[in-house]
Amino acid sequence: MQRMNIIKINEFIVDINPDDLIRILGLKRKKSSKKEELKKLVIKEIPEIKKLIKPRGIYRIIDYEETNRHPIFNNAKKVALAICTIGPELERKSSELMRKNQILRGLIYDTYGSEAVEQVACQLDRIISNKARKMGFWPSKRFSPGYGKWRIEEQAFIFKVLPGEEIGIRLKSSYMMEPRKSISFRINFYSEPIQNSKKSMCSECEMKNCPFRNEPVKSKV
Amino acid sequence: MRVENLYKKMEKSIIEGNKEEAERLAREAIAQRLDLNEVINKGFVPGILEVGRLWEEGEYFLPELLTSAECMKSAMSILEPELIKSGNKRKTEGKVVIGTVEGDIHDIGKNLVAAMLTANGFEVIDLGADVPLNMFVDKAVQEDANIICLSALLTTTMIGQKKVIDILKLKSLKGKIKVMVGGAPVTKEWAERIGADGYGENAIEAVKIAKYLMNR
Repeated sequence: MQRMNIIKINEFIVDINPDDLIRILGLKRKKSSKKEELKKLVIKEIPEIKKLIKPRGIYRIIDYEETNRHPIFNNAKKVALAICTIGPELERKSSELMRKNQILRGLIYDTYGSEAVEQVACQLDRIISNKARKMGFWPSKRFSPGYGKWRIEEQAFIFKVLPGEEIGIRLKSSYMMEPRKSISFRINFYSEPIQNSKKSMCSECEMKNCPFRNEPVKSKV
Repeated sequence: MRVENLYKKMEKSIIEGNKEEAERLAREAIAQRLDLNEVINKGFVPGILEVGRLWEEGEYFLPELLTSAECMKSAMSILEPELIKSGNKRKTEGKVVIGTVEGDIHDIGKNLVAAMLTANGFEVIDLGADVPLNMFVDKAVQEDANIICLSALLTTTMIGQKKVIDILKLKSLKGKIKVMVGGAPVTKEWAERIGADGYGENAIEAVKIAKYLMNR
């Protein structure tokens, strides 16, 4: 693996709004004393949760010719591959709480972790996209293996290009990353403006019942 | 206090997710030397059944479901040792071995199913995540379990569910030990294709299917 152009970042801001967390936990449509109780619990837990988050990211920009020529990279001049994580401590604590019959607290920790790593990925995405623009390219939206036609097995290529272990991420034989709260993705760099560059990943996905969905389901006409 | 009133309070404590109250009432039942199996079945169980109903009707959401499951588990952790001391045992709905299959380290969904099965009277042996496939069968045989629950979150790991069923077939245990499957990429069609006995889309459905399998 070439050491050139591998960039590590440890400075990320993680700050989740308690109301957003409660919405994801499933109390979005309800006004009740339970919702207020849950909000109090979430607000009380957040300082402890934040101590367990250690965000780290790594990325590398390669030429199209250096990719494995998967159709997902088609028409790109360059491709940025990236991995980020919030570390293993939060998910360990979540599992420990669940084992101790503190299931709701465990779920709050886990849900916060999922949102936190998403925030880290968004920030890494912005850093890479800004770099692409400075280099004179048009960046695509980010896209992760396991979505659409980019199969989960393609994780192997990302980890071939990037030393995930340097930020504490290991790829298992099932192509799952450890810690679980990790995200890998690619951003294509194009020489010309691309259509739909502002659309979210949800617009590409057909999991219509996903609680995180923020786009209508694409119709199959 | 009349015993019926006590039962009503127990039911309410589970529905409202009041852990301290559920624990206090469990202790009170012990102090009053009540029949603890009756206390569980007439006091606490109606509470968790009502919670399941409220969830199905869209009245309750996941946090409420989990708080009630925690309450149920807390009350049981007080009552069950007393039952054993008196030479009795809680009559369980059945014994379940549960885990996330080898290669897969996701355990949240599996934990929620385990919690709801426990709250609904099943004896649950939780093997954790990334469980070697043979271990599910070995443990189920060792513990004389009725059901194996297999969780998988990836298309690359859900094949492990099929392999466990294949192991059961090889050992002529298919049908004797029932298999339930679940997880984000798992569907009813997949469950049928691999010969699983049941598929639960969520934790409450998993409880229903487990009860159905026990009566089949």
